[in-house]
Amino acid sequence: MTTESYQPSSEMTAEEIWTIQEGEKRSVGVIHIVILALLVGIGFVVGAFGSISFPLGFGVNFFWTGIAVQQIGSIWFGMWGVLAGCIFPFFSNAIAGTPFYVSAAYIPANFIQGFLPAWTFRYFKLDPRLKSGRDFLYFFIAMVVASAIGALYSVLVVLQGFGLLTTDSLPLFIWGWFGGNLLAGVVLNFILLKALSGIVIRMPGFVKGWWA
Amino acid sequence: MRRTLLGYVPDESPIYDIHPFVKLYFLLIVSLFPLIISSPDWNIVLIILQLILLWYARVDLRTLRIYIPVAISMGTIILLSYTVLGGVHPEFELLFTVFGIPIYWERLYDAIVVYFRILPMILTMVLFLSTSRERDVIVAMRTIKIPFVATYVFAMALRSAGLVMEDFQIVRQAEKARGFDTSGKSIVYKIKQFVMYMIPLFALSLRRAEEFTNALVARGYAFTGEASKVKRADYVLTHYTFTTKDGILTAIITLSFIAILILRYGFGYLEAEDSRLLAWLHSLLTA
Repeated sequence: MTTESYQPSSEMTAEEIWTIQEGEKRSVGVIHIVILALLVGIGFVVGAFGSISFPLGFGVNFFWTGIAVQQIGSIWFGMWGVLAGCIFPFFSNAIAGTPFYVSAAYIPANFIQGFLPAWTFRYFKLDPRLKSGRDFLYFFIAMVVASAIGALYSVLVVLQGFGLLTTDSLPLFIWGWFGGNLLAGVVLNFILLKALSGIVIRMPGFVKGWWA
Repeated sequence: MRRTLLGYVPDESPIYDIHPFVKLYFLLIVSLFPLIISSPDWNIVLIILQLILLWYARVDLRTLRIYIPVAISMGTIILLSYTVLGGVHPEFELLFTVFGIPIYWERLYDAIVVYFRILPMILTMVLFLSTSRERDVIVAMRTIKIPFVATYVFAMALRSAGLVMEDFQIVRQAEKARGFDTSGKSIVYKIKQFVMYMIPLFALSLRRAEEFTNALVARGYAFTGEASKVKRADYVLTHYTFTTKDGILTAIITLSFIAILILRYGFGYLEAEDSRLLAWLHSLLTA
């Protein structure tokens, strides 16, 4: 139950950031539950801003700011960030008038959009402080793939499944979802990672694996 | 006045007599109605019923103004995606052409059916958000025995959303106090400015995470392990009683759902083909 706080030095390499050191104990703690709640809270506000300001319809936006919380939260806090990324769109979409069951059906898309960048950083041992071109490139590719999968699933499976769109209007919504998430991701994610990762990796709540 | 998730409701509103579980149940079940009903006529009836409920609950209907642009933009997008982006279909009934784009009756028909399915779903959500407070949602979750940790996360998330909003206002006011004004600036400029808000918002939330954790640990809170298995007193639930009236309301919602299912799939009612509105519109456009 306790959280052993381990504070890596700022000189750590990307490999060391993600590797559990000898003698280092990591377990799920209260801080992870708190982080989950706070990410849902911040995602609620930030996501609602995008949903209300740039709506395309049915929860699809031209510039969805919530993607930053979804992807950055997942990179820093693993599955807690992924979970938050699945939960907060319920609230932010609700405020913008997206029906409850449409939001519920978006869960797999939101899961992938959070999970894929988090997996990329852990699998390829990328530096969340974005210190090399490789970090930028891999993260960008992860964002593109995650947004593409999210867009295809949400539009082809959810919106068409609910009978909300015609076959002819699918490209507009696919590009809307993909472009809206990717654009917001490019604008917000790199800056946030650059500005805050150095601090976050020293936090006891930073997740090296998936849960702790 | 009491603050709800979306606005304010007067202290004397009859909505407070209803148990929070009933409100959550209403959201979950009534949201399904427009998915079953395809007739715009019956979905309009549902919209009117929900507006009556909002009025009865004494919700300040001015809070709904923020949904007018949403409803208009959604309607426009649905209409455009079904008509202008609807493609060329010689097999459909051509009504007229706009700048060379054919507008077919079948596409217009589909657009109207979809739009009038979406509107009641939005109103159901608005009704819930307008009549429920944070505490109501927590009580509803505890009533249906959702685990303590999930309820606690939910409650903390709602609280932190309020704190983030407050932080956001503080950052904006600090900028205004220094003479910063975004009025008349381009959308790109405003987006760039939004990025600058995100960094302090995230930083403040991260700092708050440690403060919250320390406070919870100091009070002996635990969400995993032996300490989490201690039975907790549901203090908040003692303020709410599930009365006979709540039972009747829950039964009415359930029976309405069953009735709609039977009418739609058993007897073939509530279908768009039977819509008088669509029939009237068709005769109007083809006259």
